[in-house]
Amino acid sequence: MQALELKDIQGIILRGYAELNNASFLLLRIDDGGLAKRWLKTLELRNAEERPRALDSSANIAFTPSGLKKLGLAEELRSMFSNEFNEGMSATAHRRRILGDHGDSDPRGWRWGGPANEPADILLMLYAFDEAALQTFVDGQIDRLVRHGLGVIDRLDSLTLPDRKEHFGFREGISQPDLEGFCQNSLPGNSVAAGEFLFGHPNAYGQYTDRPTLPAQDDPAGLLSPAPDHPSRRDLGMNGSYLVFRQLRQHVSAFWNYCAEKARAVFPNDNTEACVSLASKMVGRWPSGAPLVKAPHGDTTQVSDDNDFLYVRSGDADGLRCPIGSHVRRSNPRDSLDPEPGSDRSTAINNRHRIIRRGRAYGPPAAASMDPRDIIGKPDDERERGLHFICFNTQIGRQFEFIQQTWLNSPKFEGLYEDDDPLVGDRGGNEEAPGGTFTIQRQPVRKRITGMPRFVTVRGGGYFFMPGISAVRYLASLK
Amino acid sequence: MSHQEALTVIAEVDEAQVDGLKRQLGSIREHGSAWAVVPFAKLTRLHFAQFVVLDAARDLDGVPLPARLVLLTTVDAPMSAHLDELSTACGEGIDAVFSHCRAYPAPADRSPATRRKYLHDRCVKSDAVHINRRGRTVEQILQEERLRREINTMLDAGAVNGSPSEIRNQIVESIRRRSDLDWALQPPAPPALSWRLRNLVHGVFYGLLAFVVGVVLLLGAPLWLWILRRHEQREKPDTTAAPAAALQALRDDEDYWAHNQFVVVGCFKPGLFRKITTRLILAVADYATRHIYNRGTLSGLNTIHFARWARFDGGRRMIFASIYDGTLESYMNDFIDKAAWGVNAIFSNGDGFPPTVYMVGKGISDEKAYKRFLPTRLVHSCVWYSAYPHLTTKNIANNEAIRKGLSGSMNDQQSAEWLARFGTGNHLPESGRAARMIDSLPWDRICRRWN
Repeated sequence: MQALELKDIQGIILRGYAELNNASFLLLRIDDGGLAKRWLKTLELRNAEERPRALDSSANIAFTPSGLKKLGLAEELRSMFSNEFNEGMSATAHRRRILGDHGDSDPRGWRWGGPANEPADILLMLYAFDEAALQTFVDGQIDRLVRHGLGVIDRLDSLTLPDRKEHFGFREGISQPDLEGFCQNSLPGNSVAAGEFLFGHPNAYGQYTDRPTLPAQDDPAGLLSPAPDHPSRRDLGMNGSYLVFRQLRQHVSAFWNYCAEKARAVFPNDNTEACVSLASKMVGRWPSGAPLVKAPHGDTTQVSDDNDFLYVRSGDADGLRCPIGSHVRRSNPRDSLDPEPGSDRSTAINNRHRIIRRGRAYGPPAAASMDPRDIIGKPDDERERGLHFICFNTQIGRQFEFIQQTWLNSPKFEGLYEDDDPLVGDRGGNEEAPGGTFTIQRQPVRKRITGMPRFVTVRGGGYFFMPGISAVRYLASLK
Repeated sequence: MSHQEALTVIAEVDEAQVDGLKRQLGSIREHGSAWAVVPFAKLTRLHFAQFVVLDAARDLDGVPLPARLVLLTTVDAPMSAHLDELSTACGEGIDAVFSHCRAYPAPADRSPATRRKYLHDRCVKSDAVHINRRGRTVEQILQEERLRREINTMLDAGAVNGSPSEIRNQIVESIRRRSDLDWALQPPAPPALSWRLRNLVHGVFYGLLAFVVGVVLLLGAPLWLWILRRHEQREKPDTTAAPAAALQALRDDEDYWAHNQFVVVGCFKPGLFRKITTRLILAVADYATRHIYNRGTLSGLNTIHFARWARFDGGRRMIFASIYDGTLESYMNDFIDKAAWGVNAIFSNGDGFPPTVYMVGKGISDEKAYKRFLPTRLVHSCVWYSAYPHLTTKNIANNEAIRKGLSGSMNDQQSAEWLARFGTGNHLPESGRAARMIDSLPWDRICRRWN
């Protein structure tokens, strides 16, 4: 296995920047392509070679098709990107349908990325260790870019919640694929080909995913490396990736109120504990992050970051510990898939649908401690809070969209009938009985709760291309 | 109860009438599964129906092929009763659609008898038909879904308690008291004895024939493989991608319900060798879908409700239509991941197919080539009807197992397993022994060997 060229890979793809607590995502418009390229030439980008130190700041950059066009990338090359990227997240009725972007999540009502919003050309991702440092960093960046023919369309600020939780109160971002050529000690069944996340490397089918490549004479300065599958051509995609961004609003009060209302029917103990138990069944992990497969009876911080488990081979084929329809199980079914659950073949099939997640929370926490016990019963302050969901993959259709459509939003996942994802599902699958159903497999008889409203709605989103660092330099050098 | 059959009607359309016909048919995205012109819901034996228009084209030799209207249905036998229903209950709709076609009876001559004859004369025999589970009627599928819902309501109300066996007995007793559900205490009637006998004879006779012919063919196999390989090395795959707009138009009609449909039309590769090979493979496919893959799976996949292969235009072209659970993306990945060999063996006789090696190797296990090629052969279905759009094959199989579990005796363990079917329906009945044997071969490695 060849080691990855970490210096050419933008850092956020391989590193989560956990040291940098605050982030700001700037949506930029290019007003003057020539000036913008001068800015791009000198923009300092963090690569993946080493983790940032605590006092560092980091910048990374990604582009939309319109941004690449304004920089002067030829139509012929732009058409070599995938249809998903070129069409965009919200442009077609079919894509809105499979992503669940209807009703309150309709792109027409989005804050950014929808048909009514000013289209963005660039996503500039800025990270720093705290709010004050971020502010200084962002101010400096904005000051420079507005002098270089760029304008800020929107600024999306993110923060890190206590114990790295998301707004419902659960520890987040624990499970990530282990990249071949990068991760040394990968967990069983969790090693995934680098080409699933970085162009220019073999993917899970041993192929090089399509991306733009160009004749050598179009790269006179020799900035790009040869395409491994077409050595006579230069690889614009090399070490780049597609970045999927969704601004997901979390309806925290609605979520906990619903759990409180249904909990006693499912768990006969004290209502707060029943409520936490039910919510944990929906998530598939306890608030500390402990997986239900390993901690079926109660939360324990001893396994709070544990990701070393499967479902069938860990003895939970029937979902008696971690329900089949729970959020973590359906977003990464591990070894549960047909035709041979519990086999290496099953995990291999699963691993053709993985993403690297780099999301960050936004908006004020519902309780400073982020302990669900402090959130339950709190009146709704009606302030917007949620997740800036960000993920990386090289085939949006087979990875991000597949997970969203076939696993999360499908009420038919793994033999279920009307259960979409209890946490993030779009509740669009059942015309006869609106609202979601969640089934908890149990002996002798399952429990199920119905009439579940949508707890997560979409406020914005887009597909971006995050190039490798030499490809950024190439874009900056375009005539 | 009865077995299932596929009807394929292919009628020529006047060139001048094609646009009018397409307007008449509209599109799935406009009318969903409730299309008023032909009231499919009135047809009691109907599982699925599709209307497809094939534009005028040329075959590989440049011979013009006229535009076609294709009606595809899947029904409970007997087919004659379905044709009767189509030409009576749906008579006006059939007139409205087929009046765009050549030689359709003039208004004054239209009657159930003339419509029926028109359709009957244009039926194309299927070369092979995959039916998820032979013998399961549309009535049974709908009844058993209602049964599951009713029992679920009972369970939600907490009206049962005790050990698994006690709970099961309570459920059986309450079904017994329900005159609208007590049918469920009897197992479903099997298909007609005459059909089962014929099917058995077919299985044994052709099985033996295949054995005898197989021995003879085995002697010729090295020569056949040699010729095959030479063809494979010479044939050129079609590497042009479908235009983005065409793809978009197909996508616009997908993913409304639990299952999707698609129709593929293509020319066969030229030459006598391919012609003979095609005949042979389709005969094997016909035998396999009847006698091997007849219990829930097709080459290891359990998501296909129905599929048919039918040659037309004097054997120069083939239409393949499939009703499958999930999305086109998941369908393609399923075949790449689990059954590339099956697709390769049948479709590699089609013009432009991604290069195969000894018929089963490579081919669609080249993900990029498959996902580029398939959309170029997809044709747009204007109308699609499903009698149970919200059910997957797994749901249907689980419902059937729930119903079966109401009769007979069970111990506590078996009762617990039966009760688990209300938690999730992921435990499918085993496929036949021959199917399991074929599916257990390391196809992944075989197909990918040459990648």
